Amino acid sequence: MKKHGLAMALAAGLFATTASAQVLQMAVDGSPAGLDPHLVTAFNSIQIVSGTIYEGLTAIDANLRTVPALAKSWDISPDGKTYTFRLVEGATFHNGAKLEAADVVASLGRVMSKDIASPLASRLASVDKAEAKDAGTVVLSLKEPSAPLLTALASIAIVPRTFESNKDGLQRAPVGSGPFKFKEWQPNGFIELEKHAGYHDKAKPKLAGLKYNIVPESATRQVGVTSGQYAMLPNIDAATALQLKGKPGVRLAETLELAYTLVGMNVSKPPFDNPKVREALNYALNRSEIVQAALFGAGVPGGPLSPALKDWALDVKEFPCFTHSAAKAQDLLKAAGVTGPVAVTLLVLPRQDIKDIAQVVQAQLNKAGFKAELKIPELGAFVQDWRNSNFDAFVSTNAGSTDPDDYFYRTFRSGGSTNVFKYANADVDKLLDSARAESDAGKRKAAYASVQKALACDGPAAFMTYGQLFTAMRANVQGFGIIANRSLMTLADTTVGQ
Amino acid sequence: MKLLASRLADLLVVLVGVSVITFLMIRLIPGDAVAIMLGANTEVTPEKIAELRARLGLDQPLVSQYFQWLGGVLSGDLGVSIWTRRPVSQEIGAHIRPTVQLAAMALVFGAGLAVPLGVLMARWRGNRMNALLQIGTVAGLTIPSFWLGIMMILLLSAVAPEAQVLGYVPFTEAPLESLKRLALPAFALALPILANLARLVRSAMLDALAQDYVRTARAKGVSEASVFFKHALRNALIPFVTSLGIMTGYLLGGAIVVEQVFAIPGLGRLVLGAIAERNYPLVQAVVLVVTVTFVGVNFLVDLLYAAIDPRVRP
Repeated sequence: MKKHGLAMALAAGLFATTASAQVLQMAVDGSPAGLDPHLVTAFNSIQIVSGTIYEGLTAIDANLRTVPALAKSWDISPDGKTYTFRLVEGATFHNGAKLEAADVVASLGRVMSKDIASPLASRLASVDKAEAKDAGTVVLSLKEPSAPLLTALASIAIVPRTFESNKDGLQRAPVGSGPFKFKEWQPNGFIELEKHAGYHDKAKPKLAGLKYNIVPESATRQVGVTSGQYAMLPNIDAATALQLKGKPGVRLAETLELAYTLVGMNVSKPPFDNPKVREALNYALNRSEIVQAALFGAGVPGGPLSPALKDWALDVKEFPCFTHSAAKAQDLLKAAGVTGPVAVTLLVLPRQDIKDIAQVVQAQLNKAGFKAELKIPELGAFVQDWRNSNFDAFVSTNAGSTDPDDYFYRTFRSGGSTNVFKYANADVDKLLDSARAESDAGKRKAAYASVQKALACDGPAAFMTYGQLFTAMRANVQGFGIIANRSLMTLADTTVGQ
Repeated sequence: MKLLASRLADLLVVLVGVSVITFLMIRLIPGDAVAIMLGANTEVTPEKIAELRARLGLDQPLVSQYFQWLGGVLSGDLGVSIWTRRPVSQEIGAHIRPTVQLAAMALVFGAGLAVPLGVLMARWRGNRMNALLQIGTVAGLTIPSFWLGIMMILLLSAVAPEAQVLGYVPFTEAPLESLKRLALPAFALALPILANLARLVRSAMLDALAQDYVRTARAKGVSEASVFFKHALRNALIPFVTSLGIMTGYLLGGAIVVEQVFAIPGLGRLVLGAIAERNYPLVQAVVLVVTVTFVGVNFLVDLLYAAIDPRVRP
């Protein structure tokens, strides 16, 4: 009995040291629906595939700027319609095949193919054709100049050419060229990646592997990282992070989110068809109070673009309606010809932080001439009502993007695919169309500044807050950098000390 | 034989009833699979929605959807998961082992400890230890297992921070590690059953001890131990065996919560996810499997009951 116990202890000890020094144990909250980088868009898939299993021609760094990845450099023709990319040398796929220009062409073709029906296809809408000039050079010809193209290419993973017309092959068993390769997926249990020995940067990765443990219960994830069973909780919200702040052995990395919270309004029916009522709602909100009360101080008020996008975002001082005034709100309602409190039902995304925010918003609106009621359905029902514009107004969160074009265009252009507000503003449409084709950075910036001003106070959305995004890790985890788009690509530089 | 046939007929009625109810319930909650699937997608058009509905067979009338599904099940085909496009039987196969192991361990804990505990409680009736045990069992019945689970994890992380208690290791890969990981969740799951069964054994023992045959045995000069264990306990175990069958229902329901807390990739996690995604075939199949298990176990218990208690035999 005693001998047996000793042997067990030895075996357990041996197992523990080899595992903890090499494989980074992470805990994430949900199972991804799949791992095909051209088909998945949810964050819980992105943080497993993006920059870890897969790379694109370009990448987004921690400052949200576009940097080279599989393309080591590129030239743009003077008319802005031809891009020539030179690929890094020595890149191989996890299945052993060399990564060549033909794979890049096939990957772009796969995303644009009707049959694959990739949700990323619209990001390549400007591409007319892609050609392999030689094994290491790819030429993209565009229909019209496209300023956001280089940023968009960061989200287009390069896959082996053999998958060009294979729709299901990558969902369960991804094959990329990134620093980590897929090893095992125990459904609802974990997803494990191991070091890709043939990675083109020989110095990376430093870890032997990554293990994404799927742990749905928040309390369990917290105990897991404080006790050291998990070395990292990637991309967590303020509520969880602040509970871990100051715990011995735990460190937090943080950055401002691209995603924001908003009150979205249906401009196709009363009362929010009237711009004055929309402006009144903006004045009624006290954004600093929302940050304090619902985000525990971990966030900032923000306009149509995240303050994290330093190259693009206007300071909120430029938006008069961000100075809270209940009296001004009531004046505007009077000017809009409204008598008595304006009754509105707010459809609320059933997520804890959003529910907290909605309650603060409700109280603020009710002090400024509105009579707001909350309707908190279950997620499936929310999505359906949201998608069908079946609301007066909704309280939710919207994912931003690293280039303003992508998210502005689909969200606020008339007929945009996520323009559930039914907003149509000819000036905004014109600005968005011209900025998209503009290659001069200064002119683009000016166009998006006008868009921000047009949207901020009487647009279809009252932009509220940008929260802090956190990653919690054990103190001995080194070299990790958090990125607002939730990519974990810096895990390639990460090490775990003793 | 007649007993067998009538029980089998009951079983069939239950299964059909449950399948109809599940089929309707999952479809009656607002929000459908297609809307959720396309939720975050940036290129949704009404044509795309219609096309997807048609591909999934969701554009058919409910009645024909039901019979199509029933036909499949009867020929051994549980359908395909809407989200992963993998056969439902494969998804269930990948998730059933942790749940079975968890339930089995909980049953061993619960039933195994309940008998000695119940006997002790009967033996100590009226003294202070009994009062303590009584309070303990009431607590065991009322503490929700998710809360107990979180408290146990917190406690253990304070006492033994190196202990690995979260997640699941297959029994076939590392039997000891597997048992170690599931010990805590199994205990959290077992506690209500343990409390329930112990109280049952206690009252059945007290009943049995008041019977004439016990008085007769004592009058014959049979030793107290023999009276307790041979005469009283054997009779007291009859209701115990019956409720064991009912307890499998608790176990399977409780497993959903406990798997969530302890990050165990079992059937509970599978079905929770499937409900959130409106993955109709998967929800239907899991509920069917759980129902068949529950009904099957109770069927076995009925047979067992007939075996241990001659009076039940027709």
